[in-house]
Amino acid sequence: MIAFQDPLGQLPPQASTFAGDVDTLFYFLVWVSLASFGLILALLVYSAIAHRRKTPDQPALSNVTHNTTLEVVWTLIPTVVVMFAFAWGLKGNLDQQVAPADALQYRVEAFKWGWNFYHPGATTASEHLYVPVNKPVKFTMTSRDVLHSFFVPAMRAKRDVVPGVKQIVWFQPTVENRAELDAQGQPRTDEFGNLIGGFDLFCSEYCGDGHSVMHRKVYVVSQEEFDEKPWDLLPEDPVGRGEFYYKLNCVACHSVNGSRLVGPSFLGLVGREGRHTDGNAYTADEAYIRESIRKPMAKVVEGYAPVMPEFTEAQLSEEAVGDILEWLKTLK
Amino acid sequence: MGHSTIVTPTPQGGFQTHTVAHHFKTAEQEFQSAKLAFWLFLATEVMLFGGLFAAYIYFHDVYPETFQKGGALLDWKLGALNTGLLLTSSWTMAMGVRASQLSQRKPLVWWLVLTVICAAGFMVVKYIEYSTKYHHGIFAFTGLFSPDDHYAPDLMGLAYPQLYFNLYFTMTGIHGLHVLIGMIAIAWLIWRGAQGRFHSGWYTPVELVGLYWHVVDLIWIFLFPLLYLVP
Amino acid sequence: MTTHVPAAETAPETGSRKEPSYLDVTKGFWSWAGTLDHKRIGLMYLIGVTAAFLCGGILALLIRLHLWTPTGAIFESNAVYNQVFTLHGVFMVFIFIIPAIPASIANFVLPLMLGAPDVALPRLNLASFYLWLTGTIMAIYSIMSGAVDTGWTFYTPYSLQTQQAVVSMGLAIFTLGFSSIFTGLNFIVTIHKMRARGQTWFKLPLFCWAIYATSVLQVLATPVLGITVLLLAFEHLYHIGIFDPAHGGDPVLFQHFFWFYSHPAVYIMILPAMGVISEVVTVHSRKPLFGYKLLAFSSISIAVISFLVWGHHMFTSGESEFVMLAFSFLTMLVAIPTAIKEFSWVATIWGGSVALTAPMLYAIAFLIIFAIGGLTGVFLGTLSVDIHLHDTYFVVAHFHAVMMGSTALAFFAGVHHWWPKMFGRMYNETLAKISAVLILVGFNVTFLPQFAMGSQGMPRRYATYIPEWQIYHQWSTVGAVILGIGFALMLGYLIHSLFAGRKAAANEWGGVTLDWESPTPPNLYNFDDEPVVTGELYDYGQGAKH
Repeated sequence: MIAFQDPLGQLPPQASTFAGDVDTLFYFLVWVSLASFGLILALLVYSAIAHRRKTPDQPALSNVTHNTTLEVVWTLIPTVVVMFAFAWGLKGNLDQQVAPADALQYRVEAFKWGWNFYHPGATTASEHLYVPVNKPVKFTMTSRDVLHSFFVPAMRAKRDVVPGVKQIVWFQPTVENRAELDAQGQPRTDEFGNLIGGFDLFCSEYCGDGHSVMHRKVYVVSQEEFDEKPWDLLPEDPVGRGEFYYKLNCVACHSVNGSRLVGPSFLGLVGREGRHTDGNAYTADEAYIRESIRKPMAKVVEGYAPVMPEFTEAQLSEEAVGDILEWLKTLK
Repeated sequence: MGHSTIVTPTPQGGFQTHTVAHHFKTAEQEFQSAKLAFWLFLATEVMLFGGLFAAYIYFHDVYPETFQKGGALLDWKLGALNTGLLLTSSWTMAMGVRASQLSQRKPLVWWLVLTVICAAGFMVVKYIEYSTKYHHGIFAFTGLFSPDDHYAPDLMGLAYPQLYFNLYFTMTGIHGLHVLIGMIAIAWLIWRGAQGRFHSGWYTPVELVGLYWHVVDLIWIFLFPLLYLVP
Repeated sequence: MTTHVPAAETAPETGSRKEPSYLDVTKGFWSWAGTLDHKRIGLMYLIGVTAAFLCGGILALLIRLHLWTPTGAIFESNAVYNQVFTLHGVFMVFIFIIPAIPASIANFVLPLMLGAPDVALPRLNLASFYLWLTGTIMAIYSIMSGAVDTGWTFYTPYSLQTQQAVVSMGLAIFTLGFSSIFTGLNFIVTIHKMRARGQTWFKLPLFCWAIYATSVLQVLATPVLGITVLLLAFEHLYHIGIFDPAHGGDPVLFQHFFWFYSHPAVYIMILPAMGVISEVVTVHSRKPLFGYKLLAFSSISIAVISFLVWGHHMFTSGESEFVMLAFSFLTMLVAIPTAIKEFSWVATIWGGSVALTAPMLYAIAFLIIFAIGGLTGVFLGTLSVDIHLHDTYFVVAHFHAVMMGSTALAFFAGVHHWWPKMFGRMYNETLAKISAVLILVGFNVTFLPQFAMGSQGMPRRYATYIPEWQIYHQWSTVGAVILGIGFALMLGYLIHSLFAGRKAAANEWGGVTLDWESPTPPNLYNFDDEPVVTGELYDYGQGAKH
């Protein structure tokens, strides 16, 4: 790995073993581009000024239409440069393709709209990713519905998540980065509700209304912290667990403050009365909410698009649905 | 410039004259332009079917067993009969083009009639094949896909049998549509040919429809082994 | 061909014509709606694509305004944002930019350059226009009947799960595709069969070479798009299963099919633009094009290679290492003829008699932005760097540099260049120069921040974003507003010139190709006498030193 800084400040932090090589190549291309762009611009500006037409019938200074040497040179130089970039990029990509055999194995499931991260050995999904520093980590990814793409800019890692196929991506983090906690030990957020600390993880393949809210964090921690399973955040009490499952599965489309997202807000949901698109009235009791989770297309609330995916028992157990109900009752 | 009216030479005996379009200098230029344009159009047809062939070959590779069992349900004898019909029609079409070049009005009409008969025969055979499939519960494009157990035993146990048949129906369906369009074009040629519209001085439409018909035939020559024989 | 007569010395043609111009020869609605004249069809296309550009541009402004704040400033939901960017893409790609130069400018200019009275197939030409109109109406109908929110790429399986309007939009694109095929097919035949006496292939102006290469792509690539959108419509309606993993299909196969057309489509957009720039640069520098043959062959080689690079759109989709190697290598190869072109244009200007006219300013703006677009393309062809930049704003900025900053600017350079030939009137050149500068500045203010954001990892097609990037988005929005002002100004003075512009000279810029030999505006069948080519190409009276 070549240690390399970011002179123009236009790249994300270098947090994986890929970053040095990718960035060096990136800046190689930047300098070559700036040099050739500068040359073209200088020639253009110079001739536009120095060779400008001053009288209407002024002929051209030169009528040369051909110069074999010059043409060969300006064919060869770009050829050499792009072939060099090609070979370098290919070598870097070979590293990105093949994960080391001792990499920690994660399972990732993407859906409209969220991520379920299964840490090594975990049976419950997590909202955010925790990885140990200086250890290769490998993600086997599937999609429940449409195309998504796993993108962690700081790791220079990206791979599309394709339904029906297992996709692999890996990286080896080199820099620790934890959540910033407030006095109560809760993660701090900025004014827009984005978490502070950790590296950003995005969905980079368009997947619909919640595409831009599939934003999660990658927390890089020391091996000791990692061994304490910091991802294992499932609370003891049903209400806390309900909120946990909400953040994992529902947050992209249902607000808790009454604002309208893709679906109706959860604030004051239990006992709410309204109409479905077919005109029938409903009262949101427990049975109705259960049905809405398992078979969301059966009854769609008036004014909303029929887009909610079904949550099967494998994705959200009966107990988890019960916990969500307990938590919903607290939202008034 | 170039508004002079050019009339192509017309043989004696009730043939109609052809006036060359205003922007061409000669009848030859007009004929060659039309022919080149039509070849390019045929190239688009080849690319369009090329996409379907690519999809077929790809999925044949992904689900070899499905394609093998699915293909076995097609009747290669009927497919061969249809190949024979189309090959014959290509020959009668070529004879028709020749007749128009030689200003033979009646032979032109008869060769074209034979061509349409062969094409109609092809469509009848295709109808028999399609209806047999439907009769046995092999529906395209619907959720009603439920092949009879005795007709297609263990088909439903394979991966995505409907995909094979949807590809089969799409490919032969789009090809059949081309046969139908060709039949309409040839019928028009018969009508105009009987009026003496085509002769040694001007036979462009006969030549072009002839080219089209050979390409439709050629596509079938690829479809037949791919769908009926390769699996 | 002819000895050059400077524009200023030529008396306006008023009253001295042998025949009425194509604009005056017949009047009334049907004389336009039913016309077979390539020039009138070209003008109808010009009006049509400009209107499409206006619609797409307004949508672009809305997108930029929405992104003023991280949570989105103007649309009530992400769904509306998604529909707006989809429509922006569909309008700009399929309705504006693909027909823009070929169907409007080339339709007008190509037969003139060949000394021909019309294109080879005038009826097909009119049919192409009406197919374009039908396709456009169908696209608008799709918007009215329910929204399309798939992006212009219609990736499955998302496009199969979203609303039904995807079907009519697919059929609209099928129709637009055939309109494009008809145009391309017509031009190939026209170039082969309608050239003036003495006009050998190497005496063809470079614009004709560019249009020829474009047309080959239109004819050979568009049918694959046709079958792809047709299958997509079937898939949506009947679940035939080819592209839907739920029925055994493969969504990545759709991407292969889609990009097999849509990558060559990028060259359907840029090749004619290169042709326009070649003509503008030589005329306004009064100097023969430098490296004519290399420029001609580079157009053809770009066309050929462009068929073999589509896989670079799927570098993150799990292609095998060998496939990625091949596509990356071939992508790099395209950079070489592209670089040759840029250098040749600069060498043409060098040592010329450079007139900084409005068309020339647009051409220079093209040369600057095209260099940016081309160079950033190399970043995206480089595998390990592309993995980071894929599907980010870097890609957005890159393809806007090529499509908008290059093709659209070349389109406008061409419009300004041939405007006096088309209408016999001149626009206000001072305003034209101001708008060219506004557009050049506006483009860079819009898209340079997007390159920066993309490098930092801002993914594309985001209705909301993290606040770190707000300042970049705001600069980008400011740039978009500058662009909007530049284009509005252009529209204003162009329309004004039709009614109040001064009469154009017979040969306003002193061009020496056949298009400038026709009366201004041309006759119904273009020329007074059948042109014959005898001299050298691009001979501005000094001969050419090879």
